[in-house]
Amino acid sequence: MTEYLVRRFIQSLIVMFLISIVTFGLIHAAPGGPTQIFLSPGLSQEAAKAQAHNLGLDRPLPLQYLKWLGGFLQGDLGYTFKNHLPVGQILWPTVGHTMVLMGTSWLLSLFIAIPWGIYNSTKAYGWSDQTASFISYVGFAMPTFWFGILLQELFALKLNWLPLSDMWAIDKEGQIGDLLLHLVLPVSVLTLGFLAGYVKYARTSMLEVLEQDYIRTARAKGVRESRVIYRHGLRNALIPIITIIGLDLPILVSGAALTENVFNWPGMGRLFVEMALAREYSVLMAITIVTAVLVIVGNFIADLLYALVDPRVQLGRKGGTAA
Amino acid sequence: MNEATTQERQHAAAVEPGWSNRNEGAAVSKSQSGVRLSGKLPKRPPGLWRTGINKFRRNPYAVAGLFVLILFIALAALAHYIAPYDPARIDLLNADAPPGTGNHLLGTDELGRDIWSRLLFSGQVSLSVGFAVAFVSVLIGTLVGSISGYFGGWIDAILMRLVDVMNAVPLLFLNILILAIFGSKFSYMILVLAFTSWMGVARLVRGTFLQLREMQYVEAARAIGVSNTGIIVRHLLRNATVPIIVTATLMVGGAILSESALSYLGLGIQSPDTSWGLMLSNAQEFMLLDPLQALYPGMCILIVVLAVNFVGDGIRDALDPRKQPVAERRRWSAWSRFLRSRT
Amino acid sequence: MEPLLTIKDLTAGFATDNGAVKAIDRVSLSIGKGQTLCLVGESGSGKSVTSLAIMRLLEFAGGRILEGSIRLAGNELTDQTQRQMIRIRGNQMAMIFQEPMSALNPVFTVGDQIAESIRLHQRKRKSEAKQMAVDLLRMVGIPDPETRARQYPHELSGGMCQRVVIAIALACRPELLIADEPTTALDVTVQAQLLDLLQQLQRELGMSMLLITHDMGVAARMADQIAVMYAGVVVETGSVEALFDQPAHPYTVGLMQSVPSMEGERLSELRTIQGHVPSLHALPAGCRFHPRCPHAMPRCTSEAPPMMTVGTLQQAACWLYGDVAAGFAGAPDSDNGEAGG
Repeated sequence: MTEYLVRRFIQSLIVMFLISIVTFGLIHAAPGGPTQIFLSPGLSQEAAKAQAHNLGLDRPLPLQYLKWLGGFLQGDLGYTFKNHLPVGQILWPTVGHTMVLMGTSWLLSLFIAIPWGIYNSTKAYGWSDQTASFISYVGFAMPTFWFGILLQELFALKLNWLPLSDMWAIDKEGQIGDLLLHLVLPVSVLTLGFLAGYVKYARTSMLEVLEQDYIRTARAKGVRESRVIYRHGLRNALIPIITIIGLDLPILVSGAALTENVFNWPGMGRLFVEMALAREYSVLMAITIVTAVLVIVGNFIADLLYALVDPRVQLGRKGGTAA
Repeated sequence: MNEATTQERQHAAAVEPGWSNRNEGAAVSKSQSGVRLSGKLPKRPPGLWRTGINKFRRNPYAVAGLFVLILFIALAALAHYIAPYDPARIDLLNADAPPGTGNHLLGTDELGRDIWSRLLFSGQVSLSVGFAVAFVSVLIGTLVGSISGYFGGWIDAILMRLVDVMNAVPLLFLNILILAIFGSKFSYMILVLAFTSWMGVARLVRGTFLQLREMQYVEAARAIGVSNTGIIVRHLLRNATVPIIVTATLMVGGAILSESALSYLGLGIQSPDTSWGLMLSNAQEFMLLDPLQALYPGMCILIVVLAVNFVGDGIRDALDPRKQPVAERRRWSAWSRFLRSRT
Repeated sequence: MEPLLTIKDLTAGFATDNGAVKAIDRVSLSIGKGQTLCLVGESGSGKSVTSLAIMRLLEFAGGRILEGSIRLAGNELTDQTQRQMIRIRGNQMAMIFQEPMSALNPVFTVGDQIAESIRLHQRKRKSEAKQMAVDLLRMVGIPDPETRARQYPHELSGGMCQRVVIAIALACRPELLIADEPTTALDVTVQAQLLDLLQQLQRELGMSMLLITHDMGVAARMADQIAVMYAGVVVETGSVEALFDQPAHPYTVGLMQSVPSMEGERLSELRTIQGHVPSLHALPAGCRFHPRCPHAMPRCTSEAPPMMTVGTLQQAACWLYGDVAAGFAGAPDSDNGEAGG
């Protein structure tokens, strides 16, 4: 266990290191690169040089990277070039906002999708299954942001039932009730997106399990059908579902750039797009690294869940063949 | 008893009204021709492709999807001849005309541009992005997967870690980052989208290679001195073709969606060019004035992607020899991961 | 004495795109108390379908019993609902399967899986059932059963897993045990041990056994009665001695010729019979074996032979033994397979 944790930690560090180098490299490979952007326009050649020197932009790239890394390790994410704000101050609140939005949608979709998908597997090709299929196909073929726009048109503009966008009304900042109202539309959009995949996934993985020999053994023992499904089948069917859940955890935080943009939700996804358009490289760098950390944490949690559900999996090595 | 058990399992998989067996298997194809030959054993069971085409033709969703797709491709290809107006022609006098005004089949937008013409030309852009991305990422994926699967060892290890890392990064972020840095040209967009969607194909090709590497006819080919490339091309790639085609259809739809998303964010197609995503982005600003403007391009995307998916599912059901639930689960997982990385 | 299990004219099948297929057609069998009936045949001959039909598990495999009767200790199984069947399955009759590794649920300990079987049919407390599970493991010859009970299937070898499967099946002392190729997936030495174990347990518990196998060696060793199936029909039944001494049906003869010796080890494939088992979708008219039969007569191509008495303990469905047309073709004798001892 300790060995596994240590090995895992070192692996993660290497991955993060690579990601940061690649991002840093990408940013500095840009035509003109930050050098152009960081400098105030209309400077004379000499003044520009002086400013570049002050900002450390005339030094070789590896040195610049090391400087950034040093700052990062001390918790210094750098400053925006526009208003010279600390990046952390901009970034951290958006992480929270995104988690509120994505967490709600994600949990909601899981709570609907898993029982529904499993029910559908027992009544494959029944009307409920067909409905789920329809939702999945449409959900997958539809641009989510378009669905968001349509919902806005209908519920916010036409019917005036729900707020059009943002997280709070201007005068009600911090009120939970208002937050919930603002959540309804974006959560609906995101839940549909998640649901489309999860419900089909839960169904097919359960169908696969129901074909296994041990299910026949259970029936031969005289286990009643509901117990066959919920006791003998469910835990096995959850194994592949957990994989997907683990892979999704980072997206919960990196967020829904599109949905956040449609609904003007002050989350990390929207921040990323905004900063990308403004070429605020220090913010982009920070978001990339934060996301990478979350990816790694997500994978780790998925591994733990795996080991919890599947006795064949011991942390660090996977035994046996997956069902 | 293996034969009987496989059959039983297949039946368990397809418990549906009418008890139809949607699986492919030697027993089934034999039986079909057996029935046609009124009880006599067939001389030779029809080949995979032949039965595949028959199965595809009997799948109404797949046929309808193919038909719709061909229709959209034709409309987009002939946009120059069909479109009544130049899609970029601004006519402020006729701005926001309702559908059916004069020659404007679907009306005009806030700048008086003909919506029908714009839809047609947008289709050109969106569809070419879709197919081009699918093509390029199949190329990249096949290349990486073949190298990985054929050589194995440390080459394989490195390439597969790369795939892992790519799968872990939020791809929309990566797309945005690259396009923001390098600027959004049409060709960049295709490369960037392909660069972030080749992993599925690579995994698949590699997997097929690993399976087939052990098989005897590959050994035999080696023994009679067929060169490495010869083996790859003639024996191995052929076996991966069907799953690759199925995955490629996925990517066509995915790329169309991605294009619309990036264009919506202002990082994709730029005016005066036009695409469905760009039209949507434009429409959102004028939602109150003209809600229909948002409906048309969205419907186009929905219908085309749906059609491509139905065709892909049809091909999978008709030709993919893997057991149905497995193939289906893989497909849905690929889709949902794709989708969720782009919300 | 009435046999424990009597199957009469059992017809079952699957529905497919091209209409229903009968996987077994008017199968009649019976097993006396404490007796072993071996059901022998090639892949696809309908052995497994027969066993699943008896367990009424065929419905879960997409199949259906179309006609016929299955009486277990005077109880008509085809009339039972699935709700009623759960009280019979695992209790009065039990089944073990071919692939021991995949027959056990990977996420539960073997002890739990045995205990579940007990608690389904008997009022026992959890701790009691657990103790009984350990006893059962000891009974099926697993060393250190206390430790093993706490392990998961993947921690056990194939032979051990099959012993666990047997323990599950025997947890409630069934009157009938159906074993579908219980040793096919295992090593030869393990096979022999398990067959010994099954024989010993059968004696101890006094249960009847339906053993399904494609291996004539296994049949010779285990069976009191043998029924030979071909393409969904029973072509010959009889006592093990009669059948091995004087196989009547040409198909059985072919099977016997492929056995190297009576105490045969594992069989190689049945190469001596020309051709292959026909597809259920394209069964030949008349006797289903006639395209491969060295003695085929014109009559064989048009009329399906009924079961005909060959010796005192033996019956075969073959026109070689029917000089006179015995009524309507295809009406099998009802009291075939009478227990010999």
